Amino acid sequence: MTREVGRSLPRLESEAKVTGRAEYIHNLTLPGMVYGKIVRSTVAHGRIRRIDASQADRLPGVVAVITAAEVARIVQDPYYGPAFHDQPVLAVDKVHYVGDPVALVVGEDRDVLEAAADLVAVEYEELPAVFDERAAAEPGAPVIHEVIRPAATFTDLKNLKPASGSNVAMAYQLRHGDLEAGFAQADYIFEDEFHSHQVTHTPLEPIVTVAEPRGDGGLDIYTSSQSPSFVRMELARLLKWPENRIRVRTAYLGGGFGAKLYMKLEPLAAVAALLLRRPVKLSLSMEEQFYTITRHGATVRLKTGVTRDGRMVARACTIWWNGGAYADIGPRVTQKSGFTAAGPYDIPHVSIDSYAVYTNLPPAGALRGFGIPQLVWAYESQADLIAHRLGIDPWEFRWKNALRPDRPHATGTLMRDAGVLEVLQELKRLMRWDEPFDRGSGTRRRGRGIAIGLKAAITPTTSVAIVNLYGDGSCAVYSSTVDMGQGSDTVLAQLAAEVLGLDAREVRIVHPDTDVTPYDMATLGSRSTYHMGNAVLRAAEEVRHQLRAIGSEIFKCRPEEVELQDGHLVAGERRVSFKEAMEWRFGMQAGNLIGVGSFTPTYKKPDPATGESEDITTFWMVGGNGAEVEVDTETGRVTVTKLVTVGDAGKALNPGLVRTQLSGAALMQLGFTLFEEMRFEDGQVVNASLADYKLLGMRDLPSSVVAEFVEVGATHGPFGAKGIGEVGSLAVSPAVANAVFDAVGVRITSLPLTPEKVLRALKEQAGEIWEEVE
Amino acid sequence: MNAFELVRPTRLEEALEVLSEDPETVRPFGGGTALMLLMRSRLLQPRRLVSLDRVSGLDRLDLDGEGNLRVGSMVRLRDLELSATVERFCPAISRALLTLSNVRVRNVATVGGHLAHGDPHMDLPPILLALGASVVAQGPAGPRQIPLDQLYLGYYATSLQPGELITELVIPPLPEGTRGSYLKATALSADDWPMAGVAAFFRLEQGRIVEPRIAVSAATTTPVRLPAVEAALAGEAPSEALFSEAGRLAGRDLHCLSDLRGSAAYKREVVRVYVRRALQQVWAGR
Amino acid sequence: MAERRIAFRLNGREVSCTVRDHETLAAMLRDRFQLYSVRESCAQGLCGCCTVIVDGLAVSGCLYLAPLVDGKSVETVEGLGEEGRLDPVQTAFIEHGAFQCGFCTPGMVLMSHQLLQENPQPDQEAIAHYLSGNLCRCATYPEIVEAVRAAAQGSHVAKEEKSHG
Repeated sequence: MTREVGRSLPRLESEAKVTGRAEYIHNLTLPGMVYGKIVRSTVAHGRIRRIDASQADRLPGVVAVITAAEVARIVQDPYYGPAFHDQPVLAVDKVHYVGDPVALVVGEDRDVLEAAADLVAVEYEELPAVFDERAAAEPGAPVIHEVIRPAATFTDLKNLKPASGSNVAMAYQLRHGDLEAGFAQADYIFEDEFHSHQVTHTPLEPIVTVAEPRGDGGLDIYTSSQSPSFVRMELARLLKWPENRIRVRTAYLGGGFGAKLYMKLEPLAAVAALLLRRPVKLSLSMEEQFYTITRHGATVRLKTGVTRDGRMVARACTIWWNGGAYADIGPRVTQKSGFTAAGPYDIPHVSIDSYAVYTNLPPAGALRGFGIPQLVWAYESQADLIAHRLGIDPWEFRWKNALRPDRPHATGTLMRDAGVLEVLQELKRLMRWDEPFDRGSGTRRRGRGIAIGLKAAITPTTSVAIVNLYGDGSCAVYSSTVDMGQGSDTVLAQLAAEVLGLDAREVRIVHPDTDVTPYDMATLGSRSTYHMGNAVLRAAEEVRHQLRAIGSEIFKCRPEEVELQDGHLVAGERRVSFKEAMEWRFGMQAGNLIGVGSFTPTYKKPDPATGESEDITTFWMVGGNGAEVEVDTETGRVTVTKLVTVGDAGKALNPGLVRTQLSGAALMQLGFTLFEEMRFEDGQVVNASLADYKLLGMRDLPSSVVAEFVEVGATHGPFGAKGIGEVGSLAVSPAVANAVFDAVGVRITSLPLTPEKVLRALKEQAGEIWEEVE
Repeated sequence: MNAFELVRPTRLEEALEVLSEDPETVRPFGGGTALMLLMRSRLLQPRRLVSLDRVSGLDRLDLDGEGNLRVGSMVRLRDLELSATVERFCPAISRALLTLSNVRVRNVATVGGHLAHGDPHMDLPPILLALGASVVAQGPAGPRQIPLDQLYLGYYATSLQPGELITELVIPPLPEGTRGSYLKATALSADDWPMAGVAAFFRLEQGRIVEPRIAVSAATTTPVRLPAVEAALAGEAPSEALFSEAGRLAGRDLHCLSDLRGSAAYKREVVRVYVRRALQQVWAGR
Repeated sequence: MAERRIAFRLNGREVSCTVRDHETLAAMLRDRFQLYSVRESCAQGLCGCCTVIVDGLAVSGCLYLAPLVDGKSVETVEGLGEEGRLDPVQTAFIEHGAFQCGFCTPGMVLMSHQLLQENPQPDQEAIAHYLSGNLCRCATYPEIVEAVRAAAQGSHVAKEEKSHG
């Protein structure tokens, strides 16, 4: 029986958040601090002919105007990035998209910065630009980066050979079984193409970084980052410093969703601070977030062979990812997500070709799902299409083809601890799939749909944690996991408390500070509960071991006989508090008991030729969604009336937080599904504001929102737990589109499902002519 | 936002005098919600703002002797929303206000600013246009009354002269038995700006439609009345077929704008449907 | 640059300061009074992160000129609840887990508080309408609706208890 684990404890920082006192870097002001405003490219692709900052420089209140020339005084080789070193601190010679940072205006008075930025005159020689991922991958397309330089950060990407002279930054391929033989066995072959659009994270706390040079020649970085350890490592590489000269700290994040990963404002803030020898704060506006990071648009082509009785026997998947102007983590998305493109299905013959493609759009990175929602959009739309064409119930079709335990996934890795069947069953129950369904009438037609997605962990990665018991018996956990709303502080405290016999509310979580908290790969990909959770468990177990040793000396018993309960060591009737144990050990209220835990899961690199590996992921994430919709057949408007989300939590360490994560992810994805869409004209984002890029609001809420979890324990997860942060978002889009199809019989293959798109499809279906006007 | 000077006169004459200095760089400031957006995006960089919040006499909200609803230009949209007088006078106005932007904006934004902005996506102009409302404007040349159908000249363009201010909105009384409806379609989230707004009013006499008024906004550059549709409805007995025909006519005659909320063709479809639905709603509300 | 001295009531205390004419209320509260619950995010009055109460009415601090609060009463979430005690809305938000990252929470709490002042027993639709101008990117909306309902229930119970007592 666990006491702390499995308990729906409110977030530890609850009171700080409802009183507005929680700490965000957004609020940070340092003495002598100056502010920066980025001057951005106005062309999608071009050479910089000239930058004239003289007018801006003369404006009262302006401290400096920084361009690539000044950056070079601090960083000789100013290119950075987690997968490729392709992104300069400020544009060098060339710009690659509208919004590319070209210069930085720094001033003491924020009010003058915008005017000053307007006064920086930049002359460009425009080059041909390309925006569509398919067009960009064609031979003869304008080449965006003449030379591609891989980073050495991730060993798993080392064997991915980028091809210079092309926009295909990276190609991943998987070959499983004998595709041609598979298609030969098929009675039907389905070929369909699906498109996902660009969307963006828009965390409400816009990305912000403060850099402060230290008197000892070091540098302090305060940043709204999901990856403080990476920021330190990458900044140290740029500056050619040892990592210990740089200190990176974070606070609570006002949302992240993947926007605040790797490096964003940190290199520019660092360079500006080092040039000016004073603290510099860079804060993006909401508008600028649209120019900084997006979710990949993607084209997915699926060719699927099916037997008459509804078994998928072969599937060829081709994916083009629109990576934008800089690779960011796109190559990892291309591979790590690419290999799941055939879905959670038992298909004997599979091929996957996944291409990371540069275009002249803002850079794309990870957004809640690491590319998986784009793939699920394709394979779960097609699953429905096939089921319908074969006259099989969509749920039965999935059930029939689902990967069962110990069956090989397309990568060759056996399915273990993955709740594919359990999620399907729970989805069926919550959707009341077997019960009669009101299909509406007249101009209001109702339908329902389901979909399920599979995601692999971003493997192999490392998390290290320290658990520190102080002289008075109180306890702190040192971890570089960033709490951006997912509740990691609370869950890590629950894990430490469980081991140490404490109440989680008494455990202090020390926030990321690379001078203090140990290494963590990053807070991303639903990895923290599993990886950092394990590290914290191990660290806490080490402290428990030390406490038991002290107890065995006090109680004169064997260490195993000492229990830890409510902050006490207990052996039979005898109890001493942790404080007393520490006094006994150190002679007074003093000293520390320190446990260190480190966790790196096993992993086997995929074979470069076949893309196969027997150990491709340390755990599988499974998420399913169901939707009931009402379609207004005269306007095309889709109203989601019920949204069901089921995720496999492995073991829900905090059920309340798990449900909130699941429904939050699903609702976020619902906005992406129905109306959120970045719109471009000649590469320029034309709706870079919350007035024209609308987020899901209170009045868009389905009248029924249901989020539940199943628990198929992960063998190596802490108490069996898996990550859950992205799981709710995986299958929302196809669930809704499948419901629309069920309601009105039209199949939308490109997101989002805007009323106009649906109405056009309805008109086309009815054979009505749509009269274009202008 | 650029630096400017804020002045807060207490008398209208004073405000008009400051405004007449240089209408290009001196702007009136009501609740400021729209102006602040323009200034924050640097589309507007005034030298001086004349806040009207202390000017007396701009806050009336009552019926005059002739039964006209008179609304001072500094009446906040939220006051209009919560006013029992307005609810009695024309419930369609109260209902439309409920989904106009958000509570915080309605708490600050003023009737005068809402009408003077000239943004075709505003919710009240189509209703007021259908109701035959007018505004009183005061300027260097003295006061004048501008019927709403002469106020809106184009996209963000009004017939207000430099230095001229809206001081009052005048809505004539609705003939007994008139009912109305305002429907808006949003293309993106539910709280998005309207992609199309339709206001419809009529009353029945001996089973026949009398004084139909139909106005459309948001899909078009300015809010517009649809006289051809009104003519087709007048004197007819209400029926589904009649309303469908009205919708068809509305769509046929309308010049819609394409933007990121929808193509012109789609907006025309929506107007067609919404005109019919608005009329049905009025009829059903008998 | 035009500046002026203003005096107003801030979370129950009389204060005064010098502001620039073009300064926003949100900037003034953060820069001059360190009230960091007032957060500028969308800068368009759409997200509600900078919600402030001025003379009893909720406004967007990013679209409100600071000089205009001269002589008025200004409240932020820092002033909510009594000394050492949370407001029932805040308690309900905690109990119902009605936030994740917490960035929108002060605005949500203030708006919910205003709603209950105006309408002590709001139904789901009334809640959705009143809070439609507050965005939660973590989409904790269902929990927020539950929290507001619970807070309404609580105030209802409290009133009944009073009337019986």
